[in-house]
Amino acid sequence: MHHRLVRFHEFLFAQRHLWPEELIALLLAVLFLAAPVTEAKRFQDRSLYMQSSEPGVTTSYKVSFSYMSPNPVGSLDMQFCIDPIPYHPCVAPPGIDVSDAILTGQTGESSFTILSQTANRIILTRSPTMGISQASSYNFEGIVNPTDNGQAFSIRLKSHASGDASGAQIDFGSVRGQVASGIVIETQVPPMLVFCVAEEVSENCTTTNDNYYVDMGQLNPSTTLTAQSQMAVGTNASGGFAITANGTPLSAGTNVIDGMTTPSASTPGKNQFGINLVANTVPDIGIDPEGTWANAVASPDYGVPDFYKFVPGDVVAFSPNVSLMKKFTVSYIINSSPELRAGIYTTTISYIASGRF
Amino acid sequence: MTSFKSTVVAAFAVLLAFATVVPSTPASADSAALSIVPKKTYTIEPGKSVDDKLTIRNLDGEEPLNLTLRVVDFTFLDDGGTPKLFLAADAPQTTWSLRPFLEVPEQVSIPPRGSKTLDMKVAIPGYQGAGSYYSAIVYSSGAPEGGNVGLSASGVTLVFTSVPGQVKENLKLEKFGAYDVQTKKYSFITTKEPLNMAFRLKNSGNVTESPTGSITLRDMFGHERLIEDVNPNQSLALIGQTRTFYSCIKLKAEEVDFNGARSESRTCVSGGLWPGYYKATLNLLYGQNGNNTEEIVSTASFWYLPLWFIIAVIVLLLVVTYYVRKAITFVQTKTGRRTKIKRPSRRT
Repeated sequence: MHHRLVRFHEFLFAQRHLWPEELIALLLAVLFLAAPVTEAKRFQDRSLYMQSSEPGVTTSYKVSFSYMSPNPVGSLDMQFCIDPIPYHPCVAPPGIDVSDAILTGQTGESSFTILSQTANRIILTRSPTMGISQASSYNFEGIVNPTDNGQAFSIRLKSHASGDASGAQIDFGSVRGQVASGIVIETQVPPMLVFCVAEEVSENCTTTNDNYYVDMGQLNPSTTLTAQSQMAVGTNASGGFAITANGTPLSAGTNVIDGMTTPSASTPGKNQFGINLVANTVPDIGIDPEGTWANAVASPDYGVPDFYKFVPGDVVAFSPNVSLMKKFTVSYIINSSPELRAGIYTTTISYIASGRF
Repeated sequence: MTSFKSTVVAAFAVLLAFATVVPSTPASADSAALSIVPKKTYTIEPGKSVDDKLTIRNLDGEEPLNLTLRVVDFTFLDDGGTPKLFLAADAPQTTWSLRPFLEVPEQVSIPPRGSKTLDMKVAIPGYQGAGSYYSAIVYSSGAPEGGNVGLSASGVTLVFTSVPGQVKENLKLEKFGAYDVQTKKYSFITTKEPLNMAFRLKNSGNVTESPTGSITLRDMFGHERLIEDVNPNQSLALIGQTRTFYSCIKLKAEEVDFNGARSESRTCVSGGLWPGYYKATLNLLYGQNGNNTEEIVSTASFWYLPLWFIIAVIVLLLVVTYYVRKAITFVQTKTGRRTKIKRPSRRT
């Protein structure tokens, strides 16, 4: 045994000037030739056409894509999941059923038949055939659409050399689909947006004092005229809401008291018209938003105490998602300069509540 | 003389201003408390139409709700989901306008605490090309009479219609990373635990896009957490919009009661991130029915270094430095490389 080891060592020592180059060449061959052949690629030009996108109906699907690797393909795995990422756990879209689907047509890489199918998976098989990179499509009939139009779904695609979708994948990729109805039927309660405006309102909008104008008294260069109004808002729409303040600045004929274009403090003796939605001390007016729900807030420019602003079209309050009822008190200030021309200065502010997209 | 004239003019102006009398005419007493549907979404093939209903409720228990309805176009206000309405009567029609295809009544009167269901119709002509079309229905309460500042309440229903077919889809990722919703800023190093991951997409196509996908967040030790749905509200990037989509690192969903109906509210809560380096991978898919499914993959990273952690590290380094120096001094003294310096005695 010892004798053999000595001879092996002698042989290696004699070849020592050769093997490093050969080894390097072998490594290069593995890296540059072998690796690309075995590396999985993404299918290209992937698409899904659903004959009907109505939730829950039985319809036909056409799945199209281009194979990218020239390897022999023996099977094609199609898994219907919410998440398109192939290495994430698959959660089947609610309502999907492909267990009775029939393969009715195929183009490009063809000769497939259905090997097996469950509610959310179809495996196509054929004799492993050397693939050519080309666009292919597969038509299925008898697929029951998902029922949830609130989220998209995907079909995870994988090709394999084996005939039963086992072993290493060759190419992979996902196509996206979504059911949508001519008339969207919400899975939960229909979204609604509740909104009211008046001088005084209750938090749930069921009572208001039915007064829709604000008297601010007589203009005086040495004092600030103030007033308040209230609005309450809430929505169960997942996108939330936004309230904009619209209207023209206070005017009397051609004379105008411009709105404050940046959040500024009240300065008597200077022409100013502004609003905010929080409690202030200068002047002492306003109330902070009322309601326990934290999602709905005053916009930053209209949410700083003692700073006022009015730019028509600005968002004054919003919620990025579902918000129970919240009441906002709007404070108004008017300052006038001694040079301001006399007149009855009026405006109408239209508060517009909208959903968000 | 000039000063005298100015004083007189100013005094006159102030006098007239003082004389301003607020009219005491009674205000319109109609209700301004309404409940509407905030959004409608349709898929309609060219040459077909959809008949639907709009339900409006008057929440006021005493006064009727008189509303004027009109259809206006809108676009995006910023990188969020707030619509910018084109309210002017002479506003030009947008290229994505649904106005020509949308029919709604012009007036509606609803009794106190009552509701009405209005017929609406969206009819897409046969020649109309594929794409997204959207406009808004504005419900306006009457303008009041009297006072300096009149108040008016309006509600808006956003109406989106998708016309299927071959469309131009083009979303470009502009930014991805940890995001602070309050400051609207992305951060690479943050002392405050990030609650959100966000990405910004520029939509250069001719359809609205609602991408889907997931984000995988990996810490320094390889632990992964998955944000399963990066667009849980099915938010849209409008045509031409650069839209920021953000999702919670940890989402808390709870059932809430809204006007007698159960709804799900979602809020972002602390994900319990440990201080350190994080790498995030974004996988996005988008594509309309029958069009190519496009994919966007991107990675981003951030450091979460809370103040307590920075202070703890500094203290730890100081302690280690102190003991290392002490050990070196001890060894040097023992090996004779350093001799103790005797301080001179103060006593002479």
